[in-house]
Amino acid sequence: MLDYAKYLLSPVLLATSAYGLWLGGPHAWLGFGILIGILLFDAFLEPDHSVRDTRFPWLYDGIVSVQLIMGFAMILFYAWLVGQGHFETTASKIGGFVTMMFTQFVIVAPVLHEMFHRENLFHRWLGRIGMVMIFDPWREITHVVTHHIHTVTPDDPDYARRGENLYRHLAKTFAGQIAESYHLERRMWTKRERAWWDPRNAWVWRVGILAGFVGLLWLIGGGSGALAGVGVCLLGPRILLEIFNYTQHYGLVTATPGRFEPRHTWNHLTPFVRLLALEITNHTGHHEDSYKPFYELVPDRTGPKQPQFLICLLLAFVPPLWFMMIREKLHHWDRHYATPQEREIAEAENIRAGWGDLNERPSLAQARFAVAP
Amino acid sequence: MSVDTLTVPGETRAPTREDARGCRIAVASERGFTVGRNELLLLSALGQGINYPHSCRVGTCGRCKTRLVSGRISPLVDFALSPLTNRDLKDGYILACQAKVRSDLEIEVGLLDHRVTLPRSIVGEISGWRILPGGVIDLRLALEEPLVFEAGQYAALAVSGSFVRRSFSFYDAAPGSDGTREVGFLVKHLPGGRFSGWLGRQDRRGVRIWLEGPFGQMGLDDTPRHALCVAGGTGIAPILSIAEDRLRRFPAEGITIVFGVRTRADLFALDRLERLSGLAPGRVRVVPLLSHEPAGSGWDGARGLVTAALDRDLGIDLPEASAFVCGALPMVEAVETRLAALGMPRGRIHADKFEPSGL
Ligand SMILES: Cc1cc2nc3c(=O)[nH]c(=O)nc-3n(C[C@H](O)[C@H](O)[C@H](O)COP(=O)(O)OP(=O)(O)OC[C@H]3O[C@@H](n4cnc5c(N)ncnc54)[C@H](O)[C@@H]3O)c2cc1C
Ligand code: FES
Repeated sequence: MLDYAKYLLSPVLLATSAYGLWLGGPHAWLGFGILIGILLFDAFLEPDHSVRDTRFPWLYDGIVSVQLIMGFAMILFYAWLVGQGHFETTASKIGGFVTMMFTQFVIVAPVLHEMFHRENLFHRWLGRIGMVMIFDPWREITHVVTHHIHTVTPDDPDYARRGENLYRHLAKTFAGQIAESYHLERRMWTKRERAWWDPRNAWVWRVGILAGFVGLLWLIGGGSGALAGVGVCLLGPRILLEIFNYTQHYGLVTATPGRFEPRHTWNHLTPFVRLLALEITNHTGHHEDSYKPFYELVPDRTGPKQPQFLICLLLAFVPPLWFMMIREKLHHWDRHYATPQEREIAEAENIRAGWGDLNERPSLAQARFAVAP
Repeated sequence: MSVDTLTVPGETRAPTREDARGCRIAVASERGFTVGRNELLLLSALGQGINYPHSCRVGTCGRCKTRLVSGRISPLVDFALSPLTNRDLKDGYILACQAKVRSDLEIEVGLLDHRVTLPRSIVGEISGWRILPGGVIDLRLALEEPLVFEAGQYAALAVSGSFVRRSFSFYDAAPGSDGTREVGFLVKHLPGGRFSGWLGRQDRRGVRIWLEGPFGQMGLDDTPRHALCVAGGTGIAPILSIAEDRLRRFPAEGITIVFGVRTRADLFALDRLERLSGLAPGRVRVVPLLSHEPAGSGWDGARGLVTAALDRDLGIDLPEASAFVCGALPMVEAVETRLAALGMPRGRIHADKFEPSGL
C-alpha cells in the first residue's frame, strides 16, 4: 500500500506549484525550486531496484488519472493568471514560466505517455487528449509505430546516433517525426479508403483537439494567457521530452531491427526519478511490453545505465561534456552488452562519429567501415 | 469444425501475476495450444515448437495472417499499417506476429505439420561474386559455422558494421541435417538500392557478412503432387531450391517452371535450370516468358507477363497441383488471383513476396 502513497508525491508537487503561482511574486519559483531540489538530492542516492506493489492497480490508476487532470487544470490556471496580469515582475513572470515548463515535463508528460499506451478506453483517451499538453497530439502515431519498432536504428526519428549533439538531434527529430507521421497517416487513410480530410482520420481530429485546447486557453487567459500556455507546452514538455529521448537510447545499436532486447536502452533508476517520471526511466520494461502499466515495470538491474537523469539533462545541453560522459559509457556497452555483430556496427558508428579511438582494433574497424554500404 | 485444445507450458520471460493466467488458443481443425496472457501469439507458438506460418516476424510479409473468430488481442501497431488489405481488416484477419493475446482465442490458421529450424546468426565472407545476365549477382558466402535450412527458405544479410539488412532466398538445395558452410543467393542489382546497389558496384569477395536465418516456409509442402513454380526475375532462387528438393523426394511427380524476365538478354540461371532437368530427365518443364522482348527479335518462345502462361493449355491439372510463386509483390498477387480463378485451392498456393525488406 505504501508504494502507492509514494505516487502521491507528484500530485502534491503539482498542488504546491499551483499554490506558488497563486501567491505570485517570488513564490512563482516555488514549484521549480522544490522539483530541482528533489532531483539534486536524488543525484546523491543509490539506484533503487525495488519492484512496486502491484496488488491494487486501481489505486495507482486513480492517482495518475487525477495527476493528468490536475496537469490540464494547471495549464488553464496558469493561462488565467497570466491573462489577469498576475505576474508583475519579470522575475515572477520567468519563475511562473519555468515552474510550468518543468512540472509539465517531469510530472505530467510521463502520465500521458503511459495513458496513450493503455488498453482501457478511458485511460487511452485521457492520454490522447492529454497529448495537447506536449502540443503534439500526433506524437502517438510515430511513437507507437516508428519508435517502438525501429528502436536504435537510423530509421527511428527519436534516435540519436553516436556523435550527434543535442541541437542537431532536435532539428533532425522534429523534421523526422513530421515526415514519418505524415507517411503513416497517409498509409492509414489510403488503406481505409478515406479522403485525407475525413473526420475519422486520426490526424484530423487531433488538429481539432489541439485547436480546441488553444481556444480554451484563449477563452480563459486571453491572447497573453494563450501565448504563455502554448509557450510552456512547446519549450517545456515538447522540447524537454526530446531531450529525454536523446538520452534514453543514445548511440546504442541493434543487429535485430524490430526485435527489442533489454540492452537497447539506457535506464535511470534513482529513487525520485523513478517516482516522478512514473517509472518510465525503467525504460527496458516499457519497450519489452508497451502495454504494461508503468508501475509494473521491473528495473533492469544488470542493464545499461546512465548517470542520474537531471545530470544527463544538464550535460546534454553542453555537447563536449555530454560526449565526455557518454563515450565512456558506450565504450563499456560495446564490450559488455553488444553481440559480436552489434559490436561491429558500433565500431563503424564510432568511426562515423570521429570516435575511432574507442575501437579496440582501429585499423581492422577502419578497413571494414571503408567497404560497408 | 473440430476444435481440440492442448496445453503446453511456455514461459518466454519472467512470469508476472497476469501471465499466470494462460490463454487457451483454439485452432479450427487443428490442435490448440496455450499462450501466456500478454505474450505475442506467433512468438509464443514458435517457442513451443508449433509450426505457425510466418516469415518476417515484424508485420511486413503478411505470412502469419490469421482469422480471429473470437477473443481479444491487442495489435502492436495498427493493422492498417500492415500488408492486410481493407477487406482482410473487415473480415477479422490479424497478424499473429503483431498480436498480444489478451483472452482465450479461437482462430483459423493453417498450421504446418513440420518441425521448424530455429534461425541463428552466423558470420561469413563473400566467397563468390559473379554478374549474370539481367544485372543479377550470383553471390556465394562461406560461413564460419554450418547452417541448416530447407527448400525455399531465406536469410537476412547484413554487411559487417552496417545497419542495412536485407532478405535473400537460398537457391541451393536444402543441405540436410549436418548443414552447409557455403550458401548462394541471386541478387538483382538495383543501382540506387542500398544493399544491392552496393553489392553490384564492384567485386565484393572477401567482405565480412552476417547472416541470420533460416526464415520462411514457402517450400514446406509435403504432399507429392505436380508442382507449378512461377518465378519473376530473382524469384527463381527459391524455386531452384524447391524444385530440386521435390525432384528428390517425390520421384513420380513432375515440375513446371514458368520463369519471367524482361528480354532475352536478361535470361539468367539457365545453366541451373538445365542442371535441374538433367537430374530428372522428362520430369522438368521450363517455360521462359519475356515481357519486353522487341517484336521480330527472333524469340520464338512465350511473351508477356507470367500470368499469360497460366491457362488450361499449360497442361496441368491445376486443382490437383501445388503452386510455388515468387517475385515482386504485384506479380505474386496477380498469379495468386489467376491460379485461384483456374480452380487451384488457395491453401495450396505458396508464395514469397520480394517486398523491400528492411532498414
Ligand atoms: C522474403 C524475401 C526474400 C527476398 N529474396 C530476394 C532474392 O532472392 N533476390 C533479390 O534480389 N531480392 C530478394 N528480396 C528483396 C531484397 O530483400 C531487397 O529488398 C532488394 O534487394 C532491394 O534492397 P536494396 O537495399 O538494394 O534496395 P533499397 O535501398 O531497399 O530500395 C531501393 C529502391 O528500390 C525499390 N525496391 C526494393 N526492392 C525492390 C525489388 N525487389 N524490385 C524492384 N524495386 C525494389 C525500393 O522501393 C526503393 O525505391 C527478398 C525480399 C523478401 C522480403
Ligand atoms: S510474420 Fe507476421 S507479417 Fe511477417
